[in-house]
Amino acid sequence: MLLVTILFIVFLVMGMPVAFAIGISGMAFFLQHPELPFTITVQLPISQTQNFAMLAVPLFIFAGNLMNSSGITKRLMKLSSVLTGHMHGGLAQVSVVLSTCMGGVSGSAIADASMEARVLGPDMIERGYSKGYTANVISWTALITATIPPGVGIILYGTVGEVSIGRLFASGMLVGLLMMIGLMITVWITSTRRGYGAERKKATTKEVFSAIGESIWALLFPILLLGGIRSGIFTPSEVGAFACIYAIIIGAFIYRELDFLKIARTLGDTVIDVGAIMFIIALSGIFGYGIPLENIPKLLTDAILGISQNQYLVMLIILGILVILGMFMDGSVIILLFTPIFLPLAKAVNIDPVHFGILFCTIITMGNMTPPVGLAMYAVCQILDIPLTDYIKDMWAFFFTVIVLVVILMFFPRLVLFLPNLLFG
Amino acid sequence: MRKFYERICRLEVIVSAVFLSASCLLIFIGALARSVDKPVNWSQDFSLFLFAWSVFLAADVALRHDKLVKMELLLLKISEKSARIITIINYLLIVVFLAALAVYGVKLSFISYRRVFQGIPGFSYTWVILCVPVGCTLMIITSILKLKNLFQSCRKGV
Amino acid sequence: AGVQEAPAQKQYVLRFNHVLTPQDPYHAAFLNWAEAVKERTNGGLTVEVYPSAQLGVEEDILEQIRQGANIGQNTDAARLGMYVPDMAVMNAPYFVETLDEVQKLNTLPTVQAWKAELERTQGFKVLSFFWVQGFRQTVTNKPITSPKDLNGLRIRTPGAPIWQESIRAIGAIPVAMNYGDMFSGLQTKAIDGLELSFTATSTGNFHEVCKYVNETKHILLINFEVISSKWFNSLPPEYQQILEEECNKAGLEVSRQYLEELDPKNLALLKSRGMTVIPEAQIDMKAFKAAGEAAYVKLNLQAARDKIYAEMGKAK
Ligand code: NA
Ligand code: NA
Repeated sequence: MLLVTILFIVFLVMGMPVAFAIGISGMAFFLQHPELPFTITVQLPISQTQNFAMLAVPLFIFAGNLMNSSGITKRLMKLSSVLTGHMHGGLAQVSVVLSTCMGGVSGSAIADASMEARVLGPDMIERGYSKGYTANVISWTALITATIPPGVGIILYGTVGEVSIGRLFASGMLVGLLMMIGLMITVWITSTRRGYGAERKKATTKEVFSAIGESIWALLFPILLLGGIRSGIFTPSEVGAFACIYAIIIGAFIYRELDFLKIARTLGDTVIDVGAIMFIIALSGIFGYGIPLENIPKLLTDAILGISQNQYLVMLIILGILVILGMFMDGSVIILLFTPIFLPLAKAVNIDPVHFGILFCTIITMGNMTPPVGLAMYAVCQILDIPLTDYIKDMWAFFFTVIVLVVILMFFPRLVLFLPNLLFG
Repeated sequence: MRKFYERICRLEVIVSAVFLSASCLLIFIGALARSVDKPVNWSQDFSLFLFAWSVFLAADVALRHDKLVKMELLLLKISEKSARIITIINYLLIVVFLAALAVYGVKLSFISYRRVFQGIPGFSYTWVILCVPVGCTLMIITSILKLKNLFQSCRKGV
Repeated sequence: AGVQEAPAQKQYVLRFNHVLTPQDPYHAAFLNWAEAVKERTNGGLTVEVYPSAQLGVEEDILEQIRQGANIGQNTDAARLGMYVPDMAVMNAPYFVETLDEVQKLNTLPTVQAWKAELERTQGFKVLSFFWVQGFRQTVTNKPITSPKDLNGLRIRTPGAPIWQESIRAIGAIPVAMNYGDMFSGLQTKAIDGLELSFTATSTGNFHEVCKYVNETKHILLINFEVISSKWFNSLPPEYQQILEEECNKAGLEVSRQYLEELDPKNLALLKSRGMTVIPEAQIDMKAFKAAGEAAYVKLNLQAARDKIYAEMGKAK
């Protein structure tokens, strides 16, 4: 894996498309191991696409594009401007709140970021937010979406680690809300400093109601999605399909802005977005193959317990490692590979599995927002056509906020466990 | 010849778009059918089949439009000529990689004909695997065309 | 006793993949097998066990095995049925009922012929199928005492046809859903129930979303440990024998543990967590067995079953 890692970094620096940098360096492992059938390099990318939960990603990208062309976004923007236009960084605050609403609907940070990049991104840039800041607001707030149940990562962790998903969900709810507050404060401070101030006077009650009336179908959307899931009509994996159909129906029959030609054009745009994002996910399947073979997880465990047996120190070390891993690897792969390694380690030093799981999933999901390999970051930058350098420049305030939040949660397990203990005893 | 290739490119976008929207529709119908106690299990399976194809075709569309994400930190800092040489090396590596995937994709398609897709009797997994050699072959063509453009602009000394 | 003359002291490694977690009793059993093999071959043959599907998707691994790789997989009769269709019968409802019967299966000419066909035409070597993972039970939110009670209930099953038809046969509506989606599927009522062993129900914490566990015992789940026949044949004969023997031994051990220890223990645990257990005695097993017949008819497995029963001397 050493060769794989080195090659990967070299290819990235050479400006090779990330998907190929991942795929080619991953393939190098198979050249080193002639005993492995080379056909595995074909199986792995396909298997990445044969995961039903993964389908939510392209469907939410499509739904986001449709909401743009159906006029839903336009109305939502008007409303949000009326509601938050007088606040510091109004549109950025909308992104925080919208991601929180989407949390009850979508389980994927990447899907939420992709959707909001379409829905909110162009408007933010148009209203003077710097491109890098816009991309960061959109991708970092998507962390809330993944934390508030349902979340793909949390379900995976609970399944692999045999930890109660009900308890994990309950604690994700509260942690997600804390995250929302934290990010709202960050947005408030950074917007004030950057001078992203009010763009209008506070709206009158009449204006607010008129805007709500105009965008009622858009506002109903998350509620209907949530209702669809809660009533069991859709599983979290299926709800992206409902989002697409809903956007088409509203756009075509209620707002009457969507015709066949527009749908076709939207699909054309979606194909490019899906190709760019899903190809990375597909080829990332090749990349991680060597990790279990070289017994890297076990080597890591022995090394950590060799350093210290102190609960907080072990936790800090694990989370530090996860931050780094999260930067390079796909979240679900890390959860699959490292839950079996780190969870027993956490239990050995008396860390509650739910507490650990929430921190684990938060950190791993954060990897989607950081370079060099961050799928939410790529998605947003690709959709909004923003250079990664701009993104990285404006990233630090958000990175810092999430790290601070994780550290607080780490030292106050009661905060994380309050809701699950209340609900499940 | 060029006309034929343009037609292929159009077809690729259309197939990818149709497969994506069909898989969306299938999932939607599947969910509705289940909620009236008439689950159609194949809707999920078939949507995954369509998904695999649409991903690999869409990847070529994205590649052709230069929409695949990359880190351009270094390339922006060096001379235009060196940047172009590095880009040529990148595409050469990509062509070799894609060729390997295409060849072994064909091989795997032959090997896996007995494997049943998602347990659906009579539906071989080979039909899913084929999306890799097809998608990769299309991407090889795209990359070679890009290489051709790069070489031409090199010769012109631009 | 070790093998004295391993030819040229060549080292062999088998990478063995399974989809279960490292906490699963099966993982420990695979490690026991690996340990015994290592000891008896003086380290000449090592089995590396990879839990949680670390090496990949089960179906992918099976194809890698067919290509002669030094890889193994824990799989089931439903999947092997892709390669030798009649073998799916070993995953059918109420096919066999005891561990002794499973062991007896391996002595039957028909089963031996299936194994030979897998080896000859597909490149699979079945090391052992004495790996019984308990009985599958229905886990629901209403008590089940007869197939009629399952009418209209959406029960999650794996995707393979034999699973689907087995669940349809005993009265329910089968819904193919990923293992990881089950918990939220139940919470949101996308499904009405599951069919799992007592142990899996308990380790998955499904008492949080289901009230009843019904001892319908509709399938005695037999697992198969398969590797590449090409690779197997490249091993020294002593190693081959050791690998097979120890696999059977470890399998029988964990199967007994499952049936005699784990399932009863987890059943008690489920009760203590507030689940209501409908015991076998309160269930119309005769009706369930009669209903199960439909799966054999649908998938054309009656002939295979009858042949096996005739060879076993088992009444239908
Ligand atoms: Na957001
Ligand atoms: Na969520």
